[in-house]
Amino acid sequence: MLIRRHTPESEDHGIDLAPMLDFVLNLLIFFLITTSFVKETGVTVTRAEAMLVEHRDTGNLLVAVRENGDIWIDRRRVDLRELRAIIERLHVERPDDTAVIVADKTAPAGVVARVMDQIQSVGIKDISLAATPLGGR
Amino acid sequence: MRWKRHQLRDQGEGTHGIDLAPMLDFVLNLLIFFIITAVFVKEFGLAVNRPGGQVQPGSAGEPSLPIQILAGGEILIEDRVVDLRAVRANIERVHAVTPKKGVLIVAEEEAQTGLLIQVVDQIHQGGVYDVTFATGR
Repeated sequence: MLIRRHTPESEDHGIDLAPMLDFVLNLLIFFLITTSFVKETGVTVTRAEAMLVEHRDTGNLLVAVRENGDIWIDRRRVDLRELRAIIERLHVERPDDTAVIVADKTAPAGVVARVMDQIQSVGIKDISLAATPLGGR
Repeated sequence: MRWKRHQLRDQGEGTHGIDLAPMLDFVLNLLIFFIITAVFVKEFGLAVNRPGGQVQPGSAGEPSLPIQILAGGEILIEDRVVDLRAVRANIERVHAVTPKKGVLIVAEEEAQTGLLIQVVDQIHQGGVYDVTFATGR
């Protein structure tokens, strides 16, 4: 009885680690996705070009301003007055966010300024204006 | 005959056919991988302050250099109309004299954001990174 338990035939009784590893890897990838999920704005705008742009890798909070002054966040058009509540909700989800305002080239500066005020009133201090890098950088 | 063949295959199940499960796992991993890479939006931006934010205009003890952007696209530095390409030179000159001096951009409500971003870019190129953005008329 004792000898039989140690024979090579009973090898397949131990826990197979390979599927567990696969599963853990999948879990890891899943959490990687959920944490880095960028809230896209839902509209495409023509950005201004600039030479000295910084890469904002944690710029998760994106607010778009279209050429007619429409504000888009999280794939829907919002009013300036609802913006604060939405940003507050998104800010609670990830408090270390930085905000990027994706404004169209021809968007009015007044709307951009008011959007910046709304973002700032929530407590996000790091706000930047999106631009496309000029030249092949 | 046909029935018999089916039965034969059923009996030899799991040993002869290609095992699809690992392939499925692998394809799923590939799918997740591409979802991740597609979601990483590269956002480039220029950092701009708002009055009332963490960096107050003139917090370094120096009053900020005012730059006005009019709705028509004119840029005024110290009440002088300057070309966009001359902004950098003007900033460099001021920066050389008073290195701690920030810049306060006062844009009209209807001024275009594209021009604003280009001006901010020019100011950054001139060596000043303390840029505050306000609106007025």
